[in-house]
Amino acid sequence: MDKKKLIALIVKALFWIFIIAFFWWVFSNQMFSKIVENPDKFLSLLQQHLTLVGISAGIAILTAFPLGVLITRPRFRKSEWWIVNIANLGQTIPSLAVLALAMGFLGIGIKAAIVALYIYSLLPILQNTIAGLDSVDPAAKDAAKGMGLTPIQILLKIELPSAAYSIIAGIRTAVILNIGTAALAYLIGGGGLGVWIFTGIQLFDNSFLISGAVPVTILAVLVDYIFRGIQFLLVPKGLRLARAAAIDSI
Amino acid sequence: MKKLLGIIAAILLASVVLTACSGDEEKEVTVGAKNFTEQFLLAKMSQMLLEDEGFVVDMKDNLGSSALRQALENGQVQVTWDYTGTGLVTYNGEEPIADEQEAYAKIQEVDAENGITWTNISDVNNTYTLVMRSEQANDLGIASISDLADYVNANPGELRMATDAEFANRADGLPGIYETYGFEFGDEQISEMSYGLNYDAIHNEEVDVAVGFATDSRIREYDLVNLEDDQKFFPSYSAAVSMLTETYEEYPEIEEILKPLAEGLDSETMRELNYLVDVEENSVEDIAREFLIENGYMEE
Repeated sequence: MDKKKLIALIVKALFWIFIIAFFWWVFSNQMFSKIVENPDKFLSLLQQHLTLVGISAGIAILTAFPLGVLITRPRFRKSEWWIVNIANLGQTIPSLAVLALAMGFLGIGIKAAIVALYIYSLLPILQNTIAGLDSVDPAAKDAAKGMGLTPIQILLKIELPSAAYSIIAGIRTAVILNIGTAALAYLIGGGGLGVWIFTGIQLFDNSFLISGAVPVTILAVLVDYIFRGIQFLLVPKGLRLARAAAIDSI
Repeated sequence: MKKLLGIIAAILLASVVLTACSGDEEKEVTVGAKNFTEQFLLAKMSQMLLEDEGFVVDMKDNLGSSALRQALENGQVQVTWDYTGTGLVTYNGEEPIADEQEAYAKIQEVDAENGITWTNISDVNNTYTLVMRSEQANDLGIASISDLADYVNANPGELRMATDAEFANRADGLPGIYETYGFEFGDEQISEMSYGLNYDAIHNEEVDVAVGFATDSRIREYDLVNLEDDQKFFPSYSAAVSMLTETYEEYPEIEEILKPLAEGLDSETMRELNYLVDVEENSVEDIAREFLIENGYMEE
């Protein structure tokens, strides 16, 4: 146990040393010069990036989550196979190809990029919603039924709270992947911080690359923390303790 | 288990010995290319000609200009087709030169110090150009970039432009145009996208002005006009072979092998070949092979 903790501590320390060294290198070489020189452009790119992620991930959550709930109801169970496979398809096509396909019928620009990112975000949310709801202890559901709760009440009071951890984990995965993938939107004129990343690649100019890539990374880390917070708030205390105990015993 | 390990060791040993032997005889070069059709064609044709003469050719294509140049300087790529204007302005920060031979002589001189040799200049001049839809250009009375500048200054925020990231940020790209012609598009009016899609964007009337290459076949296909560069801003971009001086000295025959290609190509031919790939959707490989065989540069 102590040994494990020590190793974890060393890994963590190395990680932070690496991060600090990286930022030291970045600042001492003025790699963020583009942001400093051209803050308006940076803010507009950032805003485009957030729009791309916000709208596509937002719609993905609004469709995939209810769909996942619906599929796990006994009446719609049969449709699970093909719905999940359609969502699978969206995920297995490389993100670049999804972009190209979306461009085919929506033209160039932000709309096509949003559709592509939307398709790309569906699967993790859908699958984790289904997996989360499937993993709810049947005994708990039976007990609730015995207490006279309606199916809706069972869903809201028993199933969703128990599955919350898994569902939010799915949304978290989807959004974080989405933030990175949104950098590709440049290719079809969708804007976003990818513009600077690709400018950096094409001109071999690290200051463009860093000014574009680091904010994307920071954005992903921030969003990750926000969702962890949400997870913490939404997962019932009892389950949280059980999970912590489970992780500790590993 | 021991036996299996023995076999694996034997195979590894054999492959090491074999590659070591063959390495002495094989002439190996890596040909690089940028990320547009003309470059794919030039690189593919060079590859075929070199392989015809017994070279083992590795291909690194789809690189941005500066990435390709970096790869050349590092020796990861040894032979490329590049453009004199790009060499002078982008890679060496020199003033652009409009005269073709003068530009060629200058880049040979400047790059000699960087360990890079330029040979085989061709009549392909793939200069940048700004294009508009013929109809709209007529309606607005825009024929030259000066006309465009006047129009944009009089109607700011009206015309939209598509460009790739490279042109948008190169000294001999948009910033230079702004400076020379005295106008500017706002950030809102500029859509940056992968080069090639800008033709679709202008064709679909999503933008009004787009950056193009003079040899691009889609200019004709989509009924676009090249705006006249009346201030002679864009330098000469003659396609020529740019290679590592080390490689040039090691395999002087490369210059001879690629010579017919450089002599046989001009802007018109190049536009035609680009057309066959971009518009008629033939593969780069087929078109490259056909061209070489038809002109007798290579046997079937």
